[in-house]
Amino acid sequence: MTTHAPRSKPVAGRKIRVTIKRAEGPGKPFRWETFEVAPEPGGNIISLLQKIAADPVTVEGRRSTPVVWDSGCLEEVCGACTMVINGRVRQSCSCLVDDIAPNPGDEISLEPMTKFPVVRDLWVDRARLFDTLKRLKAWVPIDGTYALGPGPTETAGQQAVRYVLSTCMSCGCCLEACPQFNLETDETRWDKSFIGAQGFSQARLFNDHATGAQLKSDRLGVLSAQGGIADCGNAQNCVKVCPKDIPLTESIGAIGRAVTLHAIAKWFSGRS
Amino acid sequence: MAQHRVIVVGGGLAGLAASVRIAEAGLPVDLFSMVPVKRSHSVCAQGGINACNDVARQQGYSEYQHFDETIYGGDFLADQPPVLEMTNWAPKIIDLLDRMGVPFNRSPEGRRDLRLFGGSLFKRTHFAGATTGQQLLYALDEQTRRYEVEGKVNKYEFWEFLWPVITGEGDARRCVGIVAQDLRTMQIRAFRADAVIMATGGCGLVFGKSTNSIICTGGAASRCYQAGAWYANPEMIQVHPTAIPGADKCRLMSESARGEGGRVWVPRKKGDTRAPRDIPDAERYYFLEERYPKYGNLVTRDIATREIFSICVDDAMGVGGENVVYLDLTHKDPDYLTRKLGGILEIYEKFVGEDPRKVPMKIFPAVHYSMGGLWTTYARGAFRPGAPAGEHKSGSLPPVGTALGVGMRYGAHENMRTNITGLYAFGEVNFAFHGANRLGANALLSCLFDGLFSGVSVVNYVREGEPAAKPAESLPAEVFDACVRQETAKADRLLATAAQGPGGPETNPYVIAREMGEEMTAASTVVKSGPRLEQAAAKIASLRERFSRVRLEDAAAWSNQSLSFTRALGDMLILAQIIIRAGAMRKESRGAHYRVDYPDRNDAEFMKTTCAAYDPGAADPHQITYRPIDADLVAPRARTYGKVDG
Amino acid sequence: MPGLAGFLDKHYLLFRRLHSLTGVFPVGVFLCTHLLTNSSIIWGMFNSRAPGNGIERGVATFQEDVSFINHLPFLLFIEISLWGAIAFHAVLGVYYARTGKFNATRYPYQDNWRYVIQRVTGYLALLFIVYHVATLRWGWSWLVPGGTTWKHINAGSTLAAALRGSANGPVEFGGIIVGLLYAVGVTSCVFHFANGLWTAAITWGLTVSVAAQKRWGYVCFSVGAALMVMGWAALIGFMTLNPVKARDIEEGKHLLVPSVEPAPAPADPAPQPRN
Repeated sequence: MTTHAPRSKPVAGRKIRVTIKRAEGPGKPFRWETFEVAPEPGGNIISLLQKIAADPVTVEGRRSTPVVWDSGCLEEVCGACTMVINGRVRQSCSCLVDDIAPNPGDEISLEPMTKFPVVRDLWVDRARLFDTLKRLKAWVPIDGTYALGPGPTETAGQQAVRYVLSTCMSCGCCLEACPQFNLETDETRWDKSFIGAQGFSQARLFNDHATGAQLKSDRLGVLSAQGGIADCGNAQNCVKVCPKDIPLTESIGAIGRAVTLHAIAKWFSGRS
Repeated sequence: MAQHRVIVVGGGLAGLAASVRIAEAGLPVDLFSMVPVKRSHSVCAQGGINACNDVARQQGYSEYQHFDETIYGGDFLADQPPVLEMTNWAPKIIDLLDRMGVPFNRSPEGRRDLRLFGGSLFKRTHFAGATTGQQLLYALDEQTRRYEVEGKVNKYEFWEFLWPVITGEGDARRCVGIVAQDLRTMQIRAFRADAVIMATGGCGLVFGKSTNSIICTGGAASRCYQAGAWYANPEMIQVHPTAIPGADKCRLMSESARGEGGRVWVPRKKGDTRAPRDIPDAERYYFLEERYPKYGNLVTRDIATREIFSICVDDAMGVGGENVVYLDLTHKDPDYLTRKLGGILEIYEKFVGEDPRKVPMKIFPAVHYSMGGLWTTYARGAFRPGAPAGEHKSGSLPPVGTALGVGMRYGAHENMRTNITGLYAFGEVNFAFHGANRLGANALLSCLFDGLFSGVSVVNYVREGEPAAKPAESLPAEVFDACVRQETAKADRLLATAAQGPGGPETNPYVIAREMGEEMTAASTVVKSGPRLEQAAAKIASLRERFSRVRLEDAAAWSNQSLSFTRALGDMLILAQIIIRAGAMRKESRGAHYRVDYPDRNDAEFMKTTCAAYDPGAADPHQITYRPIDADLVAPRARTYGKVDG
Repeated sequence: MPGLAGFLDKHYLLFRRLHSLTGVFPVGVFLCTHLLTNSSIIWGMFNSRAPGNGIERGVATFQEDVSFINHLPFLLFIEISLWGAIAFHAVLGVYYARTGKFNATRYPYQDNWRYVIQRVTGYLALLFIVYHVATLRWGWSWLVPGGTTWKHINAGSTLAAALRGSANGPVEFGGIIVGLLYAVGVTSCVFHFANGLWTAAITWGLTVSVAAQKRWGYVCFSVGAALMVMGWAALIGFMTLNPVKARDIEEGKHLLVPSVEPAPAPADPAPQPRN
């Protein structure tokens, strides 16, 4: 997670350099552009990009175009504005300029995520991440939306575990930092490609719900196949870059255990 | 047999609830969203969702009292029957969410935990940490995905709604589809539908910095307005009392912070430079608690906002002379705070760099929610009391039960339909339920209620109404093609401006947007006045003139965000005009709308819905009239929240 | 999906888990016994049951252990099973390792470095084991500087000779190369095993919580440290062992040096070259 290093006092009125890796579209060549910006006190990467959009002139004095990037809530709950900042994946809204470039002339580099196809500039297409949720049947199979009384009760302890898992905003940080999760532009191969930490954690979330558990066997089947839990290399980067402090490595262990028990049970139950 | 289809525009809580409900009824849904629906602005809702519950009920609370609170909270501007139906449904909605797996906080016994919220003396707010909106949205997102896998919902993510396709004239107008643009390929095309549901949320971006997401431009609502849908109560904009001021936006600090015991204060001595914890209790001015001993820090948002504003701006008692006051949780147990409010405390920590468990938060009001929106109608339900009731006392018998259809007729085609047949508005984008001020934790409820309750109305309309005889797929192509041509021409015109080269700040869309936001926030938020609104009207008019000369800096035919933003800016300026105009015309103070020159409520003249209609041919296209409201359930009464003078 | 691909696909988890299992058993267990045996050149010096003193006891203990192993029933079967398990673990391991892309320079966390090192040591261990088995078991002496062939009846001396690049005393240049190769190889094997033991517990779901993973980490570190000590002890022991002297010890000649009593005749006749 991102913890605040003790802040060195940012220099007021400073100018910093923002270097951005840009591309006109999918498969188009990358280029780097550098802009000089005077950050606002307390401003974040988004506010820098907004300033550049209002006057997109590079340090060489060349007029460029406003940078394209994805963003939404700007308070780190929607997951949209994820990008690679100074080499590390994180949300650009919660990345404060005062923290990472407190002095005049400091440089910030912005790159699109590398594990998803670029749409344009810093905007990537994370459709695969949502496809994973389909693959894992990440939902509770309710009997429709009619009023049928309350759901299953759960203890405060169970709720605490599920709540944290349920705060996953599908930002993709865990996948970007994972050495086992790699760019796959061919959609037809997604169902054999590595699921990654977010999917494991979501599978655990629904397996741990009394009604959600009705699809547990289906989910464990997917998790046992190619691209499933066995492809995890235990580098554990996922948990370190998760902005929501979700215990992803515990989910990986829990899914490992569930898959083991499922396989044993299946072997002894006689079904193939 | 004809294949009917329904289009839902917007994938927030209201849009997803509608999609699920309609798909479940067997109608295919095409769901359009500018963002992957899981990233919709509903994720930002924090505090919770209101519903009468067994504990509160045994303390004398009831669905009817929830209704009464909502009407009183909205300062008697809302049509009352739909509110009654909504509050009656609330407990069922909570149960449904519970079944969907929403991790509501639990009591030691494993039951759903409850908290206090503004405008009520009963614990009737259900919550999942301090990210309730996120949790609710995710639950609906999951159910939608399930129907997507089953082929019943077809998602168009990263598509922007451009225009409703409407056939016929006058009362015979009927919405039969939309024109939308793929924000990646920039393809513009029409989609046919037998009904279109707008669920596109609020318009916070009109005010520049607000608590809203970057996508909450109100552009879609503005386009419907320009296409002939009425826009109601535009002047009713909620300014949330507690937000963290920021460079790019103001970040919400949920009302639940006060619901869990947070106290708002400033030092009694002006310019006190001591650290907050060094100021003894006696030297702190807990101004909400002193002025409103009954509700304390849990007065409604409009009131808390005005008090904070007045402390800072009129009395210059803001902390350190700045426009901030303390929101203090440091007297509470840190573990308790983490369990109940973790999400928002984390936001404060990340963006301010201080731990609110140890240091009081510094907050100031920020634009938050639009009570107004597209005008919608409804079929009134069975409950018609002989005479309006007075204030409902807790513990007394409600005048009406909770049977289905006492407030609104279930399944009637017109529920939450705009003035155009086949065009519906659900959630924040409509004007129903919240009157002149929304109670905290009622927004999530109204979004879900619209989707679940009026979703059925849409299904019935499609199966029994005009589409039954004349499905959209049977209509000639010309009406669709004409709309596509219109929108393509609009986009081409904007793109062509890029060839002229940069025109400087005068014609830069981002600069115009910033000036619009600053003007709207200064003139039309907490405190308004006739002269200031006149000034703002002139400013917006000049911005519109500059916008007519706007120049894009990006001519790309692929993923051109400048185009999308600039187009929305034009639509926001139109909304800004009616927000200002309606504010100037409403010569009274009611709920969130406070006029220094007319500080009192005037029920005789203004207990009416402001209704704006757009006539593109007229010299002044904005035609504002007043429509009577259904207010015969509860009689209006003075709205003081027990304020003591002094 | 027909044929082999379909079979592998259907039993995907089985192969993955067998890969994990074979790493621990038999390969890992064998590594433990192997390093225990080989390090007896050092700890054997404290073996009071062995004849002589100091290094004499070491050489004798080592010889005794080697002889014990060589008298195990079904030895060839055990050996072939072991080679099969190593090959299985190696082939799948290389295949699996190729699915990832290192990024430890961007995300330089300790766990991530271990992920990288696990794969690098896997490759190194594979190369080393092939060399080690080929030269010392299959008799590919052309790969050994000095050309020594290891003989189980002269276990210590031929091993020392093979490592030192000469059967005649001083360490040759080739011996330094082989020594370094062994240093890297043994270290790789031990790291790969200890770290693999840690990840296997997560893979199988034995350790779920962060606390459990941490605790198991201490266990794996201890196992690794112990094996590392044994491995390096063995290597140092043999690199410093003079093969001529060792041969003398093995053939009992050293006991002709008078001590308190005249030495008894060696139990076994001195081995003769087979050819």
